[in-house]
Amino acid sequence: MKILELKNVNKIYNGSEVHVHAVNDVSLEFREAEFAAIVGPSGSGKTTLLNLIGGLDMPTSGSIIIDGTDLSKLKSSQLIDFRMRNIGFVFQAYNLIPVLTARENVEFIMSLQKWSKRERDERTFELLKAVGLDERADSRPSKLSGGQQQRVAVARALASKPKFVLADEPTANLDSKSATTLLEIMEKLNHEEKITFIFSTHDPRVVKMAHRVITLVDGSVATDEIRE
Amino acid sequence: MILKTAWKNVWRNRVRSLVVIASVTVGIFAGVFSVAFMNGMIAQRFDAAIDEEISHIQITGKDYVLNNDPSIYMNSGDGIVQTVSVIPGVEQVVVRKMITGMAGTASKSAGVQIIGIDPDAEKRIFKLYKTIIPGTGDYFERESKYELAFIGQDLAKELNIIRFSVDITVLSRLGEKEVPVEIIHKLKSISGRRFPNEKKFTSTVTSILTKRELKEYGQLIKEEAWSYRENSRMTLTFLDKDNNQVSSVFRIAGIFDIKNTMFEQSQVFLRNEVISRLTGMDESSFHQVVIRITDIRNSESITEDIRSRFPELDVKNWKELQPDLAMMTDYVHQIYGLFMGIILAALAFGIINTMLMVVLERTKELGMLTAIGMNKRKVFSMIMLESVFLSITGGIAGMIAGWITIILTAKKGINFTQYAEGMEAFGYSAHIFPEISTSFFVMVTVLIIITGVVSSVYPALKALKLDPAEAIRTE
Repeated sequence: MKILELKNVNKIYNGSEVHVHAVNDVSLEFREAEFAAIVGPSGSGKTTLLNLIGGLDMPTSGSIIIDGTDLSKLKSSQLIDFRMRNIGFVFQAYNLIPVLTARENVEFIMSLQKWSKRERDERTFELLKAVGLDERADSRPSKLSGGQQQRVAVARALASKPKFVLADEPTANLDSKSATTLLEIMEKLNHEEKITFIFSTHDPRVVKMAHRVITLVDGSVATDEIRE
Repeated sequence: MILKTAWKNVWRNRVRSLVVIASVTVGIFAGVFSVAFMNGMIAQRFDAAIDEEISHIQITGKDYVLNNDPSIYMNSGDGIVQTVSVIPGVEQVVVRKMITGMAGTASKSAGVQIIGIDPDAEKRIFKLYKTIIPGTGDYFERESKYELAFIGQDLAKELNIIRFSVDITVLSRLGEKEVPVEIIHKLKSISGRRFPNEKKFTSTVTSILTKRELKEYGQLIKEEAWSYRENSRMTLTFLDKDNNQVSSVFRIAGIFDIKNTMFEQSQVFLRNEVISRLTGMDESSFHQVVIRITDIRNSESITEDIRSRFPELDVKNWKELQPDLAMMTDYVHQIYGLFMGIILAALAFGIINTMLMVVLERTKELGMLTAIGMNKRKVFSMIMLESVFLSITGGIAGMIAGWITIILTAKKGINFTQYAEGMEAFGYSAHIFPEISTSFFVMVTVLIIITGVVSSVYPALKALKLDPAEAIRTE
């Protein structure tokens, strides 16, 4: 089932002297439970494309349709609410809330959506168990390793059962072992929760595990390879 | 969750938050205590004015106050007292005779207002009888074959009725009160000398003691050296009803001390019948009716009631008799509010600065929160709550510190003996008992919350303007 569609998306940054065509006429479709990697050299437009898909930035032209909703038609407040309900984010630098425990970080988005205490507790326990951190639930991020923090971030991204998760270079700050563990967990969750994962990455380990690899060059899709 | 996160965020940078909280604590403490101090001072002045000097309402003949003319008087036959006594809300009514004259002793004289009273009736309205300095007499209790007078401490000093002397007994009493031996030794040099007035005594003691010794023991020495001979005599000279000069000798049967220099220097109390006899005034005549009411909030309506019944008389309530006191009591709450407002406004700038730093430091995190779906209202609420928590934590600490200090100081009061002369000249006691109402604490709490909210607006708006995509990339 198609959950995300990009139609002739362009993003041009207009500076005082230089115009940068960061995303150039990109048209893509993503289906449920995909495990896709967006690759390409630095400056190829990977992060910009993820920001556009995530509704953090608006395309100069073209449209992005998520589960039938055109993002450009949403007001700012509607867009924030839409992101909360439909999109999970995993950032390169984890970006957990440092004053909250792992459990509270995962719960945070659910409390914003006014889930009941029981529902929050069940979902948090389930996700922390899935990422192997149920015993570190009451640890603050500062007491967790980089890999563990990123696993909490993945759990947080999945907390509100989004349509898809966007992960911007999720393994870039991790050592090899942590990166592998994280990828295995994400692949398992992708399989179990039927949630689409879209990564931007340089990491060959991510590329190796991806079921679909989209290569960007100068903001355009150079190749779109689907693996069996 | 936002409440919990905001509270935890306050303690993210403990030192910075504690500095802000400490500044709010000190500011609120200073504000609360200063207000309690001012409030205590004004309340004491108010109580003293009502209970010792003017009561709630006074009636005099038309223009008596302007002209001070003893021929403007009222008669019991006019039915004033009977009529006023039955007005609802009136508690007590007394009548007084009033004339002006000169008080004199062998060495000094002074202009005074002589007030004729009925001591028993007077006790029901005024508490002046409670302010008699022990050992100076029992004017309100005693009958005597002599003419008795009741005067203020400052008039007694002015007329050299109160003297100062240091003798063996005084030195021994000072020793018992743990005055250091070296000071007693210094005071021995003036032992046996009598000083006709306070000024000469003070000047002599100042010349033999150090500043520190004076500061610590000066007041005690003055109190012990205070000397008064009971039944000292004083001559009063005034005009009788036919404008003939009359003089008579009075024995002083009591000296009052009410912390109001002007009142103490100018008021001499005699019995109504004595004034009648000496001036030839009819016993049923009087110059002033003094009224005490049960609830001061009704003073204006009762005044109006009396005015309407006796349009030919001057009827004045305490606000009209002492407009300065009325202004203070009427506007005191606005003044306290303004005072606290100024303190909180100053503190608000510190909070704004801190919250701006918070937003700057947490740009990336705020971007992330917006990205994952925290809407603007919630981001605003979180920043606002952090600011409110900072101010309310400091505010509560300041209020508790202020309240404890008020409780502690209210028991024994704060003594400003060194400024007594100046303060008493304006009718204020130099011994102040801070006091504060619960409603003031409620007002301060509301003001603190408002400060927290207002201080958060600008930083929170800054946070709302963040572009999540850019904010997340911030290092």
